[in-house]
Amino acid sequence: MRPELPTRRDEAWRWADLRHAEAFLETPAPANDALPETDHLWLDLAGPRQLFVAGQPVGAAAQAPTPDRTLPRHPLADLAAARATAGATLEIPAGADAGLVQLLHVGRGGAAHGITRVILGAGARLTLVESFADEGQDHWLNHRLDAELGPGAELVRVSRTLSGHGLVSDRAAVRMREASRFVHLTLGLGAASLRAEVEVLLEGAGAHAEVDGILLADGAAVLDALTRLDHRVPDTSSRQRWRLVAGGTAQASIAGGVAVARHAQKTDAEQSLKALLLRRTAAVNLKPELEIFADDVACAHGCTVGELDRAALFYLGTRGVPPAEAEALLTLAFVADALAGLPEGALQDALDAEARAWLARHAGGRA
Amino acid sequence: MSLPETLREEVRNPEAAAAVEALSTYRWGFTSDVEQEFAPKGLSEETVRFISAKKGEPEWMLEWRLRAFRLWQQMEPPQWAKLSIPPIDYQDAYYYAAPKTKPALKSLDELDPEIRRTYEKLGIPLEEQKVLAGVEGARRVAVDAVFDSVSVATTFREELKKVGVIFLSISEAIREHPELVRRHLGSVVPVRDNYFACLNSAVFSDGTFVLVPKGVRCPMELSTYFRINAENTGQFERTLIVAEEGSYVSYLEGCTAPMRDENQLHAAVVELIAETDAEIKYSTVQNWYPGDREGKGGIYNFVTKRALCRGARSKVSWTQVETGSAITWKYPSCVLMGEESVGEFYSVAVTNNFQQADTGTKMIHLGARTRSRIISKGISAGRSNNSYRGLVRIGPSATGARNFTQCDSLLLGDRCGAHTIPYIEVRNPSAQVEHEATTSKISEDQKFYAMSRGLPEEEAVALIVNGFCREVLQTLPMEFAVEAQKLLGISLEGSVG
Amino acid sequence: MMLEIRNLHASVDGREILKGLDLSVRAGEVHAIMGPNGAGKSTLAYVLAGREGYEVTAGSVTFDGTDLLSMAPHERAAAGLFLGHQYPVEIPGVSNLLFLRTAINAQRKERGEPEISGADFMKRVRTEAAALGLDMEMLKRGVNVGFSGGEKKRNEAFQLAMLEPRLAILDESDSGLDIDALKVVAGGINRFMGPERAVLLITHYQRLLDHVRPTHVHVLMDGRIVESGGPELALRLESEGYERHAA
Repeated sequence: MRPELPTRRDEAWRWADLRHAEAFLETPAPANDALPETDHLWLDLAGPRQLFVAGQPVGAAAQAPTPDRTLPRHPLADLAAARATAGATLEIPAGADAGLVQLLHVGRGGAAHGITRVILGAGARLTLVESFADEGQDHWLNHRLDAELGPGAELVRVSRTLSGHGLVSDRAAVRMREASRFVHLTLGLGAASLRAEVEVLLEGAGAHAEVDGILLADGAAVLDALTRLDHRVPDTSSRQRWRLVAGGTAQASIAGGVAVARHAQKTDAEQSLKALLLRRTAAVNLKPELEIFADDVACAHGCTVGELDRAALFYLGTRGVPPAEAEALLTLAFVADALAGLPEGALQDALDAEARAWLARHAGGRA
Repeated sequence: MSLPETLREEVRNPEAAAAVEALSTYRWGFTSDVEQEFAPKGLSEETVRFISAKKGEPEWMLEWRLRAFRLWQQMEPPQWAKLSIPPIDYQDAYYYAAPKTKPALKSLDELDPEIRRTYEKLGIPLEEQKVLAGVEGARRVAVDAVFDSVSVATTFREELKKVGVIFLSISEAIREHPELVRRHLGSVVPVRDNYFACLNSAVFSDGTFVLVPKGVRCPMELSTYFRINAENTGQFERTLIVAEEGSYVSYLEGCTAPMRDENQLHAAVVELIAETDAEIKYSTVQNWYPGDREGKGGIYNFVTKRALCRGARSKVSWTQVETGSAITWKYPSCVLMGEESVGEFYSVAVTNNFQQADTGTKMIHLGARTRSRIISKGISAGRSNNSYRGLVRIGPSATGARNFTQCDSLLLGDRCGAHTIPYIEVRNPSAQVEHEATTSKISEDQKFYAMSRGLPEEEAVALIVNGFCREVLQTLPMEFAVEAQKLLGISLEGSVG
Repeated sequence: MMLEIRNLHASVDGREILKGLDLSVRAGEVHAIMGPNGAGKSTLAYVLAGREGYEVTAGSVTFDGTDLLSMAPHERAAAGLFLGHQYPVEIPGVSNLLFLRTAINAQRKERGEPEISGADFMKRVRTEAAALGLDMEMLKRGVNVGFSGGEKKRNEAFQLAMLEPRLAILDESDSGLDIDALKVVAGGINRFMGPERAVLLITHYQRLLDHVRPTHVHVLMDGRIVESGGPELALRLESEGYERHAA
């Protein structure tokens, strides 16, 4: 039976573009042994790498991990669990530091489903960069990440979409035990459609999540992100920083959610959502949502949509910086805010450089 | 969410409900015995025809209603709000009830004494009682009192007539100014806008029509008291206010309702039109019966309020203090079409016990340099749920548009919910939109400070809550602000300790 | 003549603020423009720097003989004009160092000069920051972000030193400074001055002039220079105020 996909009539999918999901729902990616050119798709950072083409691992056998069935149901994530035939399992024992691992998922015609399972023992650490790209054809890459963070564990995950065609849907669902730390960055640079979701279940006291994102949309891209930071026990905290830039006829959207369960006192949750629009034909949508059932909490959000600060532009001008350069500098500063949650160092620098390069290429008169 | 389940359970358990009903603290829950004339129970084309005939409406009005009714039959009630609404049997209600006393009284003395007593118990401010009684030197507030469905007393009509202001019940307006009503009715809230507005369009019983002509500053504040009285009678008010070029009007809408066992549906529609340089200030204090402490009974308040700022530099301000109703579904909105037009929304929404509120606004920016400002204060207590839901949309043509939104929630106790669901949709790069939201509780320090100065706990809380709402309350006309402050205290009774 | 202002009229939001202002500044001179609040002092500074919204309705301004008013703000900066802002803006996310290096290189590019090397840049940063008592850690933060009023003014003096303009227009550089900070800022101005350079000090009070000795003092009232003189004029204004000009 053909599964039901959500539609824009569903509140959570109001700004999503699922045309390619509809189109490729029953069309798996064609079998093809040729390997794509991927050198330019990896971040130039040390650490193990694994390539998946249309959901199949290259040069290794990788059984699909068992999904975490206790996670909240989700139409696309459930589909990924049902249809993925391969995937990555990263189980890091207590106290170990696994360094940085890169997974690259390349779409190829049709639909491909993937699943990554991360299990971090107490105090274990992992940095995971998952990148999504394509070979120049429309396609649908549907991916889920199931992660469990043991007490004091730390996971940094970057979901990086470079795809220029079709649709990438990526949902990260993370369970956090006490004093664990989760940093997530969504980097949407592609010209196609993206649905990026991050749902975090903060289930242990002292758990802290930073869920950030940069959506840079140009051409006719439809980049759509949704988060839900579910504070289920007392004494947890979260920060969300999202920066959106839209040009062309593109649309960039973020629905940032914070939920505080009854009795989850002393929750400290903040959201900052900001967007810049480069053209009248483009669109940005923001929805900072709070759902609160406990009274002793500090939950705040701030959102702005607007032009670059005119006073700052003039200030730069009086120091000799031409308007285009001044705009580029301020746009970059605007975007770079969202990288602040990542640990300082090579990964942060590499992503900063990518955002900078994107702005130089796409921000029209602004770079 | 366990709340709605409990609520339904209570409704199904009449014995328990009857027991707690006796203990209910709702001050204004009483029934007045005025003979009523009912439309046949239930909703059909017959009901619509009955209402229209009863009001002696022209053919076009009947057709308008019938079209609405047919559309409504095909529509579905909205599901997106954070509300749990028990199924409503639209066939199990009366859609028209008129006091048998003849309408259009010339003075208060002619009013049915029972209705007058009702107003007294309601605590209509003494000043306005004097006004109604025609006491010399009384402050001038024109009151169009709506008792259930038909307007029974309209004061000051003559004086308003002198400056050309039309202030009539909508039924009268349909008879006396059919061309005006026909032009504007449904022009801001189209018949098929939403389920409840469509229902209203089919069966609206009465309401108010105001037209302030070009250049006129309405010499007094216009005020209407809405009441729901008859058992099982839905209230479907229709308000239409047109402010012509360069005019100004301030309209006050206040509501209290007597207590009922069964939930009552209220689906009003308010349409405002502001032409070039015109300004409309619309203030509401809504204090309908919220149900008892166990969540039994109370009004369902499903209201569509929308303003069209059609002319350049026109301005509409909505101020609402919502303390009543079991369920509130209400989003007073502004369509900012004219260049440099301004929309404002100031709201205090209090929910206690088992009340549910999903309220907010929509600011639709279409014209260049349009501005909007949203200040929302939500206070949740008991086991209630209080949601702010707002939309700010900046269209591609709204160059230089500005919006500022501040949205604060206060939780009293740990069994209630406070939710914020703003939508921001921007299509113009020169727009500036700012949104801030906070959630907090009353600090123990503040409470202790007030109590150490001799205030009992409930008064201390009321004081702090009033401070939390100050920004909104100060936009109300004076006589409303005082009433609203009192209401905040009353509606939070029993929420502390 | 370095700066030549003739019959300058300028409006803000349709209201005329400058009403026929004349002023000539040569290299090697320090001019103080004094006047009460609302006289048009800051408007003059913004008009010279080219801020949008400040509309010149009549008159001319030349800088080294070229028409200043036809140039964009960044072109004026590259030509050697510096505005010390009364209210320096905060620019989160752009570090002071990145900001300054971008500015220096943009000016050099405009003048057809090669970019400054990283080593040279940092060497000069350290020297000038030390002279003005600015912490290197502060310079790594966003431009003026979290700076006190005094630190912002010191940062302006630091940029003056780093950018090496020929004409410095300093708008209320002394406001919000305690006496020690005032001395530091004044020291920066004095170090900057030289025979090839000029300074236009815009100030309400005399106290900065105790530390930076002007060659010329002008009184600006209601959009015009109403009196000019030497340093003694500043002292007289200090004791008498502006009443005599008000009539």
